[in-house]
Amino acid sequence: MILFTPLIEQITPKTGQMFNLAIFIIMGVLVYLSYSFARQGRTWTIRPMEALDAIQEGIGRAAEMGKPVLEFPGISGLSAPATIAGLTMLGEMTERAIKVNVPVNTIPSDTGVVTACESIIRDAYNRAGKPEKYELGKYVKWYGTDQFVYAVGGAGHILAEKPAMVVYLGYFLADVLVTGEAGARVGALQIGGTTDQSAISLMALTCDYILMGEEMYALTAAITGDKYQLATIAASDWIKALLIFLMIAGVLFTAAGLKNVISFMWW
Amino acid sequence: MSTMDSISRLVRTRITQIVIVVCLLSAAAGYYFSNPQLDAFNAELNLWNMDIVIFTLFIGLITVFFSYSKSVSARTSEWPFRLYALVLIAAWIVMGLYSGLYSDTYQTAYLSTKITLHIAILGQLIFFYLSAMYRTFRVKTLRTGILVIFALAMILLNSPIITSNWSPADAISYWLLNYPGMGGARAIVLVAGVGGIILAIRILMGLEKSALRATGG
Repeated sequence: MILFTPLIEQITPKTGQMFNLAIFIIMGVLVYLSYSFARQGRTWTIRPMEALDAIQEGIGRAAEMGKPVLEFPGISGLSAPATIAGLTMLGEMTERAIKVNVPVNTIPSDTGVVTACESIIRDAYNRAGKPEKYELGKYVKWYGTDQFVYAVGGAGHILAEKPAMVVYLGYFLADVLVTGEAGARVGALQIGGTTDQSAISLMALTCDYILMGEEMYALTAAITGDKYQLATIAASDWIKALLIFLMIAGVLFTAAGLKNVISFMWW
Repeated sequence: MSTMDSISRLVRTRITQIVIVVCLLSAAAGYYFSNPQLDAFNAELNLWNMDIVIFTLFIGLITVFFSYSKSVSARTSEWPFRLYALVLIAAWIVMGLYSGLYSDTYQTAYLSTKITLHIAILGQLIFFYLSAMYRTFRVKTLRTGILVIFALAMILLNSPIITSNWSPADAISYWLLNYPGMGGARAIVLVAGVGGIILAIRILMGLEKSALRATGG
């Protein structure tokens, strides 16, 4: 305690960050609360997501056509949440596709993501009970880390392989137009999901279904139907309701000239 | 399950989770509070992070090297391109190690190939834009219909002939961009942020297994 006392005395809160901290703590508490409700047997449902149904449909389509499925996890590395969402989906989708003998190929950009993709696909083959069908380097293609080298490599791959379905889940920028156009030209069913606003509009041009912002993060919870994962989605809705309430309160009090009432937001 | 498997599982799951929690708490504390020891600790963690990133770069490179070598030896459909990539990877590494990354030879060779090819790729982008525009203007869905209406509005409102002859054009395009456009963009950013944090919490709680299955979680 003696050792820690001087350390604690030197800790000073950063101005303007304490309200953020309070919101962060509330978020954690709400997630834990929803998780506890789920443990007590409470079940949650998620609204139907067209893109999710399309992924299931796309796997079936690929099985009928005898063609592969392709996923792009984006141009970011493993530190980006969007990439993690893309990789999570890759694992789930691969497991489902292997069961109907549909190979899932993936084209990552970052070399760290290449390694993660190999592990995720190998693990999906193991879970599906077909470890003998996994081959290193067969399903993970790498064309480069540069944004447009990645895009052109991906487009070339699409034109050569003509996949039945192409899924874009991760962080993208203008590169998605190149791959998206190639996918649209070969008549693939295309599903796109990203958090970047400029890429969302480009996906809207070329994809059949799009997942905007947090829909992408909710996708794995929806596809697995896991009650605990669904509970955290419910928590994110509560958080959104709280944020909307704070925004409305902020607008109303500011408009009424009562900024002092909401001064705690700048604490 | 053998003892080795149990130890391997422990290392890959529990220890990974502990490391993630410690790093997250430290980074979060550094974001909200000032403290010299904490700042020094976070700086040290950043250095470790860079080391890990460099290590994963090597792992990725080795993975690519092995998988491409396998493809070349098996003569798969893409083997000539993969052989070309392997030769280039080896050539650039040898050249970089021999002459140094910032030497004139390395920089000239790198820039004269990379930039030239990059510009060639960017030059192609216009064709993709045109093709996508054609696809969009066919208005096959409600979504593309709305997109086309606003895209056309923005194109017209910013064209010189309209702006010079109709004074409210500037104000309307400004309003479209900075009010409904900005509102929508902020809504996406906000909920994406919430979604990202929830995903992080799910991973920390061990609920989001798929991504961590690679590490045995």
